[in-house]
Amino acid sequence: MKVQLKNITKRFGDVVAVNQVNLDIKEGEFLVLLGPSGCGKTTALRMIAGLESIDEGDIYIGDKRVNDVLPKYRDVAMVFQSYALYPHMTVAANIGYPLKLRGVDKTERQEAIINTARLVRLDELLDRYPKQLSGGQRQRVALARAIVRRPQVFLMDEPLSNLDAKLRGKMRAELKHLQHELGITTIYVTHDQIEAMTLAQRVAIMSQGVLQQINTPKNIYNDPDNLFVAGFIGSPTMNFLNGELEDGDFVMTGCRIKKVGKGSRENIILGIRPEDMQIIANGESQIQAMLYSVELTGDQTIVTAKLNEIDLTVREDKDYSGRIDQMVQIRVDQSKIFLFDAASGKRIRYET
Amino acid sequence: MSTKRSIYQILFEAKSIDDVAPVPKTLTYIILGFWTFVCLFPLYWLIVTSFKIPIQVHDGPMYFPGIDFKPSMHAWYYIFVDLGNDTLRPYFNTIIVSISSSIIAVVIGSMAGYALTRITYQPKLGSVLMFIGTLVLTVISVVWLGLAWPIALASGLALYVVMLTTVGRRFKKSLHNNDIAFFMISQRILPPVAVVIPIYVLFQRIGLLDTHAALIITYTAVNLPIVVWLMRDFFESIPMDLEESAALDGASRYRVFFTIILPLSKPGLAATFLLVLILCWNEYLIALFLSTANAQTLPLLVAAMNATRGPQWWYMAVVIIIMITPVIAITIVLQRFITRGLLIGAVKG
Repeated sequence: MKVQLKNITKRFGDVVAVNQVNLDIKEGEFLVLLGPSGCGKTTALRMIAGLESIDEGDIYIGDKRVNDVLPKYRDVAMVFQSYALYPHMTVAANIGYPLKLRGVDKTERQEAIINTARLVRLDELLDRYPKQLSGGQRQRVALARAIVRRPQVFLMDEPLSNLDAKLRGKMRAELKHLQHELGITTIYVTHDQIEAMTLAQRVAIMSQGVLQQINTPKNIYNDPDNLFVAGFIGSPTMNFLNGELEDGDFVMTGCRIKKVGKGSRENIILGIRPEDMQIIANGESQIQAMLYSVELTGDQTIVTAKLNEIDLTVREDKDYSGRIDQMVQIRVDQSKIFLFDAASGKRIRYET
Repeated sequence: MSTKRSIYQILFEAKSIDDVAPVPKTLTYIILGFWTFVCLFPLYWLIVTSFKIPIQVHDGPMYFPGIDFKPSMHAWYYIFVDLGNDTLRPYFNTIIVSISSSIIAVVIGSMAGYALTRITYQPKLGSVLMFIGTLVLTVISVVWLGLAWPIALASGLALYVVMLTTVGRRFKKSLHNNDIAFFMISQRILPPVAVVIPIYVLFQRIGLLDTHAALIITYTAVNLPIVVWLMRDFFESIPMDLEESAALDGASRYRVFFTIILPLSKPGLAATFLLVLILCWNEYLIALFLSTANAQTLPLLVAAMNATRGPQWWYMAVVIIIMITPVIAITIVLQRFITRGLLIGAVKG
């Protein structure tokens, strides 16, 4: 079932939590709503679920406008960040609860519970109570409870954020596989960009209630629309340099990068990802900076250099060695440079 | 660091973090022992006294039945055989009145408490004042102007509705849930002595004096605020996610309340029920006014033992013993529900 949000706005008092958001989610799509905490992504999700009223705009599930439809008639299932399991019910009763409310008879319900439990590998634990389960198992119960009635839409609100890092990686893979198997439209909210990049078919990035960009993970990373998206996605984050454009060259004190744009313009921010820069021993370089720190993370080395009190992060391979407080030459891959307007934060694009 | 400990350290410092030093430990047990004695001695004295004959009570303290006095069953015999129905009737009255009013108060009160935690009410201050105003006007027109009350009530109501739909729309300032909760608890601010006479007149007029109904209604009304406040606090501790999840799963609000919220509130319900039950069980003043013979409760019977021939401690002891036993029994039964950690496993990992 497709889901459409048309000019959705939600206010809490004077705070605009969600501001004129438009989203078009295709049938069977896995869409991730990504953004820092407090950006309105959870509010948007709760509005789709029907747990929050809509101040302006319309939400459609399928072809039906659901603004005034009660949550239970929307045929959506939600997995909460806190799992929200019913502690006084066994795993089987938890999973069967949505079916029980829908008046599914006992034998049919039992069958559905067992099938669903098998799908998320809980069939051994059906008689346990939530307090007897580990975090990962509770997470799977919450998932099973959402799956059991085959809803039209899955809504997930940071379902993995309470798990430890290792388990999170494992559950992520399971979740992706499960969604592929069931083919149910899924809207997934997270603040974790790795989760977003790995799970999503398309990522929608929000900030301060406004939708910033919606595209495939690859395009979001390689072609950010604005300063926020460029800075939010990628770890370590993109380097930003304030300067101006002089006849196509980017100029700031202590640095000149040739032929990055066209014409002359003031108030420019140049963005370049750490992996698109390189520290070189000799040859042509655009930036000269003071080495500030060298951090080996195992498979790579994160090098920080200072240029006029600005931190530049460069990703080097794991064999890099350099002395702190030494001057280094940095070469920039000119084809990977992004230019932004400093005032509006918008990307400056040139026709090629 | 030397391993040798000084006398001071041996006496006042614990050997390990799980241990308590000898002197504080001894002091603690002395205080605890003293307090246990203070609490339990009256009970012991009660039981001992119930087996004494009047002369033994008057002849000064005797502590051990069978050693310094000869136990006698005469008081028990008098209460259960001679008085017979005069003991049993108040006994059953107390049981019926306290248990039914506690159940009603807990059911209604917990629903009100739940509504106050989960639904936002914003009655306009203006409309509330207007309601009180028209009510006062109605009362005045009945009492002083001699209007027939059905007419006065109908016209008062009509006036209120008309005003509400016209000027009522303009009111801005509104009350909130906390104001409603405060209004409820404010019902307990008046001392019972101040309200008991109006209550007496009220029940006299409607002809319910000396019936179970009068006591049940009054006790329920008096205890409702306590239930609302205690349960409101308890419901607030139940995560909202659980209810939202149930709502998405397809449950109605009543379904959520009865299948999710109430089972999780067992500890709170048990504790509140117990508190309210004990308050009803021991209530004296209201019972004194509202009941005479038929609906008389146990506290009145105890008080009556101190009437014509001075305090008859031996009879009182028997009545008090049979009065506290059911409460102790109910407390022991409900104790198992008053457990912590019922919500473990509901949220987080």
